[in-house]
Amino acid sequence: MLARARVSKLLISQNLLRIAPIRTLTTSSRILNGQTEQQPKANPDTKRKPLSRIAIGGTKTHSQRTSGESIEFTTWKAAALFVTVGGALYYFFAKEKRRIEIEKEAEANRGYGKPLVGGPFKLIDQDGKEFTEKNLLGKFSIIYFGFTHCPDICPDELDKLSIWIDDLKKRGITLQPIFITCDPARDSPEVVKEYLSEFHPDFIGLTGDYNAVKSACKQYRVYFSTPPSLKPGQDYLVDHSIFFYLMDPEGQFIDALGRQYDEKTGADKIEEHVKAYVPKEQREKRAQKWYSFLFN
Amino acid sequence: MGWFSKTKPMDDPSKPPSRSSRKQCWESRDTFFRCLDGINVVNALDAKHADAIKASCSAQERAFEQDCATSWIKYFKEKRVVDYKREKFLKEMEEKNAQQVDLSGIVRR
Repeated sequence: MLARARVSKLLISQNLLRIAPIRTLTTSSRILNGQTEQQPKANPDTKRKPLSRIAIGGTKTHSQRTSGESIEFTTWKAAALFVTVGGALYYFFAKEKRRIEIEKEAEANRGYGKPLVGGPFKLIDQDGKEFTEKNLLGKFSIIYFGFTHCPDICPDELDKLSIWIDDLKKRGITLQPIFITCDPARDSPEVVKEYLSEFHPDFIGLTGDYNAVKSACKQYRVYFSTPPSLKPGQDYLVDHSIFFYLMDPEGQFIDALGRQYDEKTGADKIEEHVKAYVPKEQREKRAQKWYSFLFN
Repeated sequence: MGWFSKTKPMDDPSKPPSRSSRKQCWESRDTFFRCLDGINVVNALDAKHADAIKASCSAQERAFEQDCATSWIKYFKEKRVVDYKREKFLKEMEEKNAQQVDLSGIVRR
């Protein structure tokens, strides 16, 4: 009886793996034809089958052939097992896939995940006062990196930002516009102040020593290059990334707005983000609900 | 001031370019570039055009170089070439019925 059970097990695995040798098929067909298996009567030592034909754990006299009616039983059992396990796995993976989709969607709609952009910095504003990441708290900020001797793009972008600020103010949204220079060698607080005086009065202009500016740029993933060898009084350009960084009242990065946004679409985009913003405590409350996994 | 006799006010590192000086530079630049359009020169930095520029646009070039910061001069000349190539490429693509794909969302994801 024990041997038979073992043989059945082997057959299940053969059925599942679909590597059943032809012999199994012939065995099945024989059973279908209602034939009963005959035990080999001859001396097993002389009429031995090759070792491979003896089921693992079986005996010389009880080969697979001898398993009898149990084969029929194990076949449907194997099929049932296959369907059950297969179905369960399919259900599980389909469900998991959907869950991840929703999670991603929620993440995308929120617009930010881990704060890869932004972080602590310590600079001084155009009046020489210290300005750190803590000054971003409590209000939406929009940060632009540039330099005062910038030929055409920065002034255009700053003019565009000025229009956004006024436009959004009319819609009841106040932004704190921040200009951070990438050219600390030339842009002292006085230079920045004079430069920004020709733009929106709300502008906060930040500068600092070379390392402070470099570290701030790094936090915001801004590429900038001040030419390495400078003669005094030499005029040069600074390559830098041109994005507006929208930051929420917790000082977290929301979105980067590139040059493709014009006077109108940029303001719309910012408004959209400001309205979709969920404060931290609300997010935390939401995280305790049963559907919290959607927001992880 | 002796300082200004050597360098242009636009090159003064202690003063940011003002809105009006920028405007003046851009206007001089546009005048110079219009002159280059007239003599079919795209790349003003190319030495082979030097004679043609000197013959037809020297006054405009002098004004451009006087009104703009030294670093801007090269930048604008290079940008003219890039803009020209870009426009030409877009026109070519349009003729081939290519569609522009908006990748503005790509920044976020």
